[in-house]
Amino acid sequence: MTGTMADPLSEYDTPACETLAQTVKKSLRTSDSIGISRCLQCGACTSSCPAARFTDYNPRMIIKRVMENDISVIEDESIWNCFYCYTCHLRCPRNNSPTQVVQVLKQMAINKGIGLDRLKVLFGYGDTFAEFGVSKIPDLYVGRMKDDFDIRWHEFKEDLDSVRSELGLGTVNVKDSGRGEIRAILEGIGFFKRQEKLKQMARTKKPIFESDTSNESGEITDEAN
Amino acid sequence: MTISNEHIGVFICHCGGNISDAIDIPSVKQEIGTSDIPVFDCEYLCSNIGQDLIKTIIDKHSLDKVVIGACTPAKHEKLFKKCIGDAGLNTSMLEIANLREQCSWVHTGNPAATKKSISLLNGKIKRIQTAHPLTPVQVTINPNAMVIGGGIAGINTALNLANNDIHTYLIEQDVTIGGNTAKIGKIFSPEKLAEECAMCSLSPLMNEVGSHPNITLLTYTEVESASGNVGDFKVTMRKKARYVKDNCMACGRCSEVCPVYAENDFNCGVKDKKAISMRFAQSVPQVYSIDPDHCIELAGTDCGKCLDVCKVDAIDFGQKDEFIDINVGAIVVATGFDEYDASLKPQYGYGIFKNVITQMELARILGVNGPTLGKLARPSDNSTPKNIVMIQCVGSRDEHAGGNKYCSRYCCMAALKHASLISKKYPDANVTICYIDIRAFGLYENYYRAVQDMGISFVRGRPAEVVERSNNNLIVKIEDTLTQELKEIPADMVVLSSAMEASSGTKQIARILDVTLSEDGFIKEKHSKLRPVDTSRDGIFVCGTAQSPKDVTDTIAQSGLAAARASAFISNKVISFNPHIAHMDHSLCNSCGECLKCPFDAISKNGSGNISINPLVCNGCGYCTKLCSKNAISIDGYKEEQIMAEIDGILEKGDVLVFLSREIPYATADNIGNSVARYPANVKIIKVPTTTIVARSTIEHAFECGSRAVLMVEEPTDNTIGEFIYPLALENFERIKAELGDKSARLHFKKAYIPNYRGLADTFTSLTEMEDGE
Amino acid sequence: MKQIENIPDQGILLFKSCMVSVEYPGIESSTTYAFSKLGIDYLVSDEQSCCTGLGYYFDLFDQMSTTAIAARNFAVARKNGYTNITTLCSTCYAINKKACALLNSNDEVRLNVNSVFKEAGLDDLVYEQNSLDDVDNFYHVVEILLSKAKEIGRLNAIDFSGVRVAAHHACHYYKIQSDDMMGNPNHPLLIDTIAKSCGADVVEWYEDKTLTCGAGFSQIHVNRDLSLKVTRVKLESLKNAGVDLVLHMCPNCQIQYDRYQPVIEKEYGTKYNIVHMNIAQFVALALGADPKKVCGFKTHSVPLDDFLSRIGVSV
Repeated sequence: MTGTMADPLSEYDTPACETLAQTVKKSLRTSDSIGISRCLQCGACTSSCPAARFTDYNPRMIIKRVMENDISVIEDESIWNCFYCYTCHLRCPRNNSPTQVVQVLKQMAINKGIGLDRLKVLFGYGDTFAEFGVSKIPDLYVGRMKDDFDIRWHEFKEDLDSVRSELGLGTVNVKDSGRGEIRAILEGIGFFKRQEKLKQMARTKKPIFESDTSNESGEITDEAN
Repeated sequence: MTISNEHIGVFICHCGGNISDAIDIPSVKQEIGTSDIPVFDCEYLCSNIGQDLIKTIIDKHSLDKVVIGACTPAKHEKLFKKCIGDAGLNTSMLEIANLREQCSWVHTGNPAATKKSISLLNGKIKRIQTAHPLTPVQVTINPNAMVIGGGIAGINTALNLANNDIHTYLIEQDVTIGGNTAKIGKIFSPEKLAEECAMCSLSPLMNEVGSHPNITLLTYTEVESASGNVGDFKVTMRKKARYVKDNCMACGRCSEVCPVYAENDFNCGVKDKKAISMRFAQSVPQVYSIDPDHCIELAGTDCGKCLDVCKVDAIDFGQKDEFIDINVGAIVVATGFDEYDASLKPQYGYGIFKNVITQMELARILGVNGPTLGKLARPSDNSTPKNIVMIQCVGSRDEHAGGNKYCSRYCCMAALKHASLISKKYPDANVTICYIDIRAFGLYENYYRAVQDMGISFVRGRPAEVVERSNNNLIVKIEDTLTQELKEIPADMVVLSSAMEASSGTKQIARILDVTLSEDGFIKEKHSKLRPVDTSRDGIFVCGTAQSPKDVTDTIAQSGLAAARASAFISNKVISFNPHIAHMDHSLCNSCGECLKCPFDAISKNGSGNISINPLVCNGCGYCTKLCSKNAISIDGYKEEQIMAEIDGILEKGDVLVFLSREIPYATADNIGNSVARYPANVKIIKVPTTTIVARSTIEHAFECGSRAVLMVEEPTDNTIGEFIYPLALENFERIKAELGDKSARLHFKKAYIPNYRGLADTFTSLTEMEDGE
Repeated sequence: MKQIENIPDQGILLFKSCMVSVEYPGIESSTTYAFSKLGIDYLVSDEQSCCTGLGYYFDLFDQMSTTAIAARNFAVARKNGYTNITTLCSTCYAINKKACALLNSNDEVRLNVNSVFKEAGLDDLVYEQNSLDDVDNFYHVVEILLSKAKEIGRLNAIDFSGVRVAAHHACHYYKIQSDDMMGNPNHPLLIDTIAKSCGADVVEWYEDKTLTCGAGFSQIHVNRDLSLKVTRVKLESLKNAGVDLVLHMCPNCQIQYDRYQPVIEKEYGTKYNIVHMNIAQFVALALGADPKKVCGFKTHSVPLDDFLSRIGVSV
C-alpha cells in the first residue's frame, strides 16, 4: 500500500469485496434489493436499451460478465454508452439494474485511471458547485452548444439576467449564507480530496487509489504502467 | 407411595431386548414395586399378548391408573390409550415413561441406565397420582360435503365424493358448470402427441354431475357467508334469479325471438349472444337464463317476446334471489383462476392494438364454438394471420408491482399446443414463440419435441415492446439472447401468454371461510409436501388453480386427492379433540381480557363479558396460562402440580432437567435415540405442550430438587405452532431468566430441528459438564 | 404507489432546478404562476442548492457527497417549515428521494453525514432519522398539477381542441423509483391527463413512448451523434403520430427536444412541425398567463409564435 493515497469516498461507491458482484451489491449507488444474482439473461434490458439500439453496448452481457467476475468489463468502452435512462432498471423482471451496475463499474474504472479524459473536463464543476451551489455545464460543452445552437439561444444567454428579472425571478446562485456551508460539507465529506487525487491521476495517468483492488487478479493491463 | 385409595399398576416392556438389554428390569421391578403398586413386565407390550396382559391385570387388580415403561409415546400412545379404554378406564389415566428413546438407546452399556429408568418411572407414578379423568370434546361430523366452484377441479371432486356415497353440494357462480376448461377448446396429449377435444372429455363429466343422485347442483349461486365449526359448517348462499324456471326444455325458441344482443364473456366479449341464452350448447343445467343487465323487459320496456314463445311456461320475470343455508361436514374450495390483465404491461400493446390477444382468447378463436367458429382470424380485419408471435411470461416471473413472481406453469404448454394447432391447420403460418425457458417437465418434453419438429420458431428473450406501424401490423422488439442480435419480428397477430392469477372468487371465498392465502394470493396449503390439499382450517380443503397455477392434468390429480381427504375426514363421523387444552377456572377470572392475546384466536369474550375458551380451536399450547395474572387458566394434564410431581419423581442432585415442546423438540430427542447417539444419563426430560407453560416457580422447584441446569427446547418457527409460539416462548424464557437473579445462568433455551439431533445431544452433554450448570 | 388524494397542496418547497434557471426560466415562473392561481401554498428558497444531479450522472459526484448536499437541502425545507419537496426536474426528484431513503435506512451514511455537519459547526443541518419520508415528502410539480387537473380544466381559457398533444414523461421521475410513481410506470399518463382536462387531443400511446429523450447527461456532449440518433427516433415517432405539441416535465428533456430539434433537422435534412413546452408552461398558459412575461417562450429554440396564434394566444 506504500505510495497509495487514502480515498474515504471510494469505499462507499466501490467497496472492496471478493467479487465484482459483491462490490456491486454493497455499493451505495445500487439499491439494497438489487437482484443481480437472480439475473435470468432474458435480454429485456438489452432490447429496451437506447444505447444497445445504436452501439455494441449490451447490458445483459455486462451483467453476465459481472456475475462471472470478469474484471476486464471495467475497461470495456461500451459501458460509457449507457444513458442512465433506467429503462433496464424498470423492465428487469428480477429487480436487477444494469444502469446502476454500470455506474459502479465506471467508478471502478475511474479509480483505475480509466476514462479520466472524460472526467477531467468536469474538474471545474466541483468548485463552481462549492462557490455558487449550482451545477454548471462545463465550458467545453457549452462551446459545443454554441456551435450547435442558433442566434436566438446566443442572444438569450447573453441576456439571461434581464430575461429572468422580466419573469420575476431572482438570481440563479444560492444565497450568500449557503456558500460557506456547501464548501465546508464537500471538504468534510472528502469530495475535494477525492477530486484532487483524480486530478493528479489525470496528470500522471497513474492509478492512485488501491482501495478497490481486491478484484485485481493480475489480468488488468493498465496502459499507464 | 399412594396418597389415595387409587390403584396404580406399572407395566414395563422389554421391547425384545431393546430395553431389557440396557436396563436391568428385575431390579427396576424390585425398586419400584410395592404392595400398593404392582409391577409387571412383558416381552412386547404392543403385541396382542401384551395388550391382553394389561387388560387382564387392570381387571384383576382393579387398577384405576396405569404407568407404562416402553418406547416413545409417539409410537404407541394411541394403542395403549385404546387398550386401557377397552378395559374401562378413562384414557387420561395413562402415563408412559420413555424407557427406550430416552434411556436404553441413549445410555447403552451405561450402568446408570437402570437407575435412570427407575427415576423416569417414579416421575410418572408421582405424576399420575395427581391426574384426573379428562373427557375429550367430541363433535359429530355432518355427513354431507360441499364443493365450491364448478370448473374441472370442482366437477371432479364432486364426482369422486358422490361416488364415495357422500352427498355433495356443488356450488357454481355462473349459470353453468364447466369453468375455464369449457373455454379452452383443445387439450394436448403428451402421449399421442396430439390435441384432443376438451369438451368431449368435459361434457360427459358435466352431465354426470347433473344427473348424479348424490350431487345437488346449485348454479348461478354465490357463497355469502359461513359460520359454524370444524365438522359442521353452515354456509349461506345467494341463488340468483335467472328468470327461467327449471322446467325449461332448452328448446331455444326464446333466444331466437329475443331482440337484444349482448356481449358474450364466454367468447371474449363478442356480441354474439342474446339477453336470454345458454352459455354454450353443452351447458349443465340445460336451463336458459336472462341477463338482467341486457333484458329490456326487466329494464321496464314492454317486450315479453320470450314469454310468448315458451311452450312450457318457464319464463318468470318475477323470480327473486333466494338465500339458502346448507350445513356440511367438509368443504372443498375449487374456485379457480383469472387470467392476468395483460393491459398492465402496455409495452405489449394489449388493449391498445387490436391484434394483440391472450392465449385464452386465442383458445376461443380456435374453438369450433368460438366467435369465429374455429377459423383463425385476427380481430382487426378477420383476416388469417400469417405471422403469429407468442410472448411468454407476461405477468409471470416478474418481481415488479403489477406482475407475479411465480411461474404460471401452464403457459409454455398452452403456447406449444396453440402453435401446433395453428401449424396443422394453416401450414403456411409462421409461429414464433419468444421464451425465457421452456418448461416442459416430465413427459411433456415429448410434446415439446414434436412441436419443435413442426418447424415452430423459438427466440430466447423477453421482448421489450410490441409496436404497431401500418395496417394494424405489429413488430415485436426483442434481443435474441442466443445470438445477441436485436430483432424486430414482424407479426400479424401477437399472442400474450398471460399469467394465471388466483381468481377474485378465490380471494373472496378465502375471506369468507377464513382460510389463509399465500403471498401470491392463492389459498395456502397446510404443508406443500405432506398436506397439499388441506387448508389452514380442518375440514376445509382446496384443489386446482385456487391453490396454485396448474394445468388440467395436475388439477384433476389434485382434485381426486381433495375428494379423498374430504371423504376420509367425513368418514371419521366423530372428531375427538385433544383433551389437553386450556381450562378456565371462572371463579378466579376477573375478565381482564389479557388471555384474548391467544395467537390462535381460541379465546373470546362473550356479550356479557365472560371469557370462554373454544375447545375446538384451542391446541393446548399453554401461552394463555402465562398471560393470566390470576392463575385462572391451566392446561389439562399439564397443571403445575402435575409437572412438579414429575420433577419430584425424576430429579436427583446434579441432574439436568429438560423441558421439550411436544412436537419437533420431543421428536428430535427421540431421534437421538433412533440414531444411537449418546448423552449422559443425568439428563432428564419432561414433555410439555410448549415451553410457554413453564413457570418460574416450576424452575425454582427443579433447582431445589437438585437440578444443576434447566433447558427449555422450543418448536422452530417453521412449524405451524412454532411460527406463533417461538417468539412468545423466547420472551417467557427471557423474563424468567431475568427474574431468577443469581441462578439465571443455569437456565437455557434453544429451538430444535429433527435432522439436527446431534446438536441437541451436544447441548445436553455440555450442560452436564458445566460447572453448576453455568 | 402514491394516491392522487394524498398529494399535498400545502407546505410545498418548490425545488429550483439549475437547468430550468439558465435554460428555461419560464418553467419556474409558469409553475409559481399556476401554483398561485390554484391556491397552492409554496415557497421558493434561495438557500437551496443544486441537487448535484448533473455531477452525479457525469460520474464525478459520489453517492456520499450527493447525500450530504441533499441533507443540507432537507434542512432548508425543515427550517422553513415547507417539507413537501417538489421538484421541477426529474433528476432532482430521484436524487433527493434516494438520498432521503439512504439517510433513513443506512445508519453509516446518516452518521457520517451528520458528523461532517457537526465537525463543520453546522449542527442545525443534522438530519434526524425518518424526519422526512422518501415517499410522502417528495413530489414532482407534475404530480401537484395532476392533483388539480379538474380545476385546471375548469379554469382553462384556451381552446386546445384539435391540438395533437403527446407527453414525454421524464425517465428519472417514473423509472428509478417506479413503485412510487402515480400510475403504471410502463405507461405514464400524468401529463396526458392534465392536457386532456384542458380539452387537447391527446395521443396517449406512440411508438417508443417510454424511450429516453436521448440527453443521457454527458451523452449529448461526449457521444453527440449517438444522443441525437435517439432523439431523432423519438421525433420521427411523434411525427408519425401527427403530434403538434410535446409536453415535458424535465428541463434536460426539453433542451434535448427543443434545442436539438433544429440541429437534427439540419443534420438529417428533415423537418418537424412540432413544438415543445413544459407542462407547467402549458398549464400557466391555460390559466391565462402571458406567454412572454410568464411562460418565457422566447428562451425556446423552436419558435412557438405560430402555434400560439393557432390556439388564439396573442404574442
